[in-house]
Amino acid sequence: MKGSIRFVDVRKVFRWRGVGTRHETIKGAFFHRAPRRQSLTAQEHVALDGVDLEVAPGEAVAIIGPNGSGKSTLLKLTGGILKPTAGSVEVEGRVTALIELGAGFHPEISGRENVVINGMLLGLERREIEERMQEIVDFADIGSFIDQPVKIYSSGMYVRLGFAVAVAADPDVLLIDEVLAVGDEAFTRRCLDRLARMRQRGVTMVLVSHDLDLVTSFADRALYLASGRVVAQGPADAVVARYRSDAVGAKDAAAEERRTSETESDRRWGNGDVEILGVELLVGDKPLRMVPSGGPCTVRIRYAVHRKVEDFVFGIAWHRADGTQVSGHNTDLGGLVPRRLAADGEVCCVYDSLQLAPGEYLVDVAVHARNGLAYDYWCDALEVRVTSEIDWPGVWSPPHRWLSDGPEWE
Amino acid sequence: MTVLRLLWRNRALIEVLVRRELDARYRASALGFFWSLLNPLLLLAVYAVVFTYIFSPRFPGADPYPLFLFSGLLPWLFFSGAVLDGSATLVDNGPLLAKVMCPPEIFPAVTVLSHLVHHLLALPVLLLAMVASAVLKLHPTPWTFPLVMVALIPWILVTGGAVFAVSALSVHYRDTRDLIGHLLNLLFFSSPIIYSLEGLQVPIVLHRILALNPLASLVVVYRDVVFAGTVSSPQTWLTAFAVGVIAWWLGARIFASFRETLVEAV
Repeated sequence: MKGSIRFVDVRKVFRWRGVGTRHETIKGAFFHRAPRRQSLTAQEHVALDGVDLEVAPGEAVAIIGPNGSGKSTLLKLTGGILKPTAGSVEVEGRVTALIELGAGFHPEISGRENVVINGMLLGLERREIEERMQEIVDFADIGSFIDQPVKIYSSGMYVRLGFAVAVAADPDVLLIDEVLAVGDEAFTRRCLDRLARMRQRGVTMVLVSHDLDLVTSFADRALYLASGRVVAQGPADAVVARYRSDAVGAKDAAAEERRTSETESDRRWGNGDVEILGVELLVGDKPLRMVPSGGPCTVRIRYAVHRKVEDFVFGIAWHRADGTQVSGHNTDLGGLVPRRLAADGEVCCVYDSLQLAPGEYLVDVAVHARNGLAYDYWCDALEVRVTSEIDWPGVWSPPHRWLSDGPEWE
Repeated sequence: MTVLRLLWRNRALIEVLVRRELDARYRASALGFFWSLLNPLLLLAVYAVVFTYIFSPRFPGADPYPLFLFSGLLPWLFFSGAVLDGSATLVDNGPLLAKVMCPPEIFPAVTVLSHLVHHLLALPVLLLAMVASAVLKLHPTPWTFPLVMVALIPWILVTGGAVFAVSALSVHYRDTRDLIGHLLNLLFFSSPIIYSLEGLQVPIVLHRILALNPLASLVVVYRDVVFAGTVSSPQTWLTAFAVGVIAWWLGARIFASFRETLVEAV
């Protein structure tokens, strides 16, 4: 199936050919026939060992771990740039790697020609590139510079053009290696927005990043590597927590845990007649933490009923981390009249268009009686990151346009 | 053969890369593509002056000597230029190889093809010089000139094979580049480019050794059609093609044996 990735017991060993490992004869070097080659003082470095990984189409997986743990090697194996020493790597569909953006741009020729060449290297037909040229130029936001030789570009323009070509290649699998760290803030925001849209379309993504907040908001799952071995693999939150605690040290982590469990009780209360089991943000049928501004999404509340109730309201409140209230709505205001809540189930609040300005949002979720008696009131049950190409101020970013007669514009 | 198929499948990419190479070379130069014509022309002018007035070597069948030299030198420049560039092509394109999954074979191929284009652009200059000297009765008209396209085939094969080998070797052994310069020098003087084997006044042993040089047949075949106006013996043609095919096969073989580890070493 297109967009799936499968690593089975993958091992990757790098060998350096030092002076001592020269082939004995030219002939031996040419024909791979020199068994003594292996026994010489070859320096070996095991970059990955016993790695199993399975990624379903449309999934986003983050690879985390300290420097030198084999993250980039794993990415390059996925991209087919390196071959595993042992084990097998299967990747279906077109793979594009966002590694070293703009690599292979020739400084002497124009951006436009470089786009054509880079696009063809990424597997596009010349015609497809010509069709997408305008889109690429727009995204890179370099205007008439596109016809100038690349050597006069600023480093920002260089990277933007590289990113624009790579995402225009319309991959089934996208590999992202810390590229979001290189640009300025505005560029990073636009990239993130673009990536969020691609996720919505079902592009499989593998991300290497040290930005753990990005990892938890971006990825469904995470793989934690240390010295080439898999330490933990699973839901992004859990794996990131594990990595954080390893990084901070076990002792601090315990203190951290105590602190969070204290605040937990401040953030959640209720008599427990109805319990909220989980809250998810669904973007295009997939639970995500990230949604492009103006895009559709759904908040799904799963609940368990411990005691039958006939008076109940499900509510959702959006606010920002600084406490700014954004919006609140519940089933009562929505005109739904409760009759009976007897069995476990789920309730969804569907947003056709989430017109929020980009940024981080927190969502409180509650089920309570109409008089306000809380069955389960859960503050900050969900963290959502809204992305947008433009950094709109405030919290509301409605679609809009400007009309004017009097003033003169450029 | 598998290499050829692979290159054919990537022909569109190779085409744009060759164009890029040519574009980039003449970008920001006032005369642009004319340099491809001008370079051999100026070279020929210098030779004509030096080897006519300063010292004029005498070899049977090598008259006028500047043209004789020029017709031997042109394919050599194609070969040596491509091999020298070939030693850097994979290293230079390293960032690309490390980023995109593209067959590394295309880079040596691009090197060979862009040098071939330069060579083809120099051919009109050679033809013009031949016609001019024929008009001046210095030299019979070489009617066999169009056969140069056939004589080029073994040159392309040899150059391709050498560039494949050199490009892969220089990734793993950076000393290849230094070595190549000297090897080319040796090969140049042992090939019948500045002399002809027939007119050589050397001990018979050395003559035999020089005749063993695999490039000798290629030089002879090429120069016979463009300069002497004759077609070499079938035996010489056969040797030239055999050398070409073997060099190609060997080069592709060497490249293949290093292929897997190229990206890591680059």
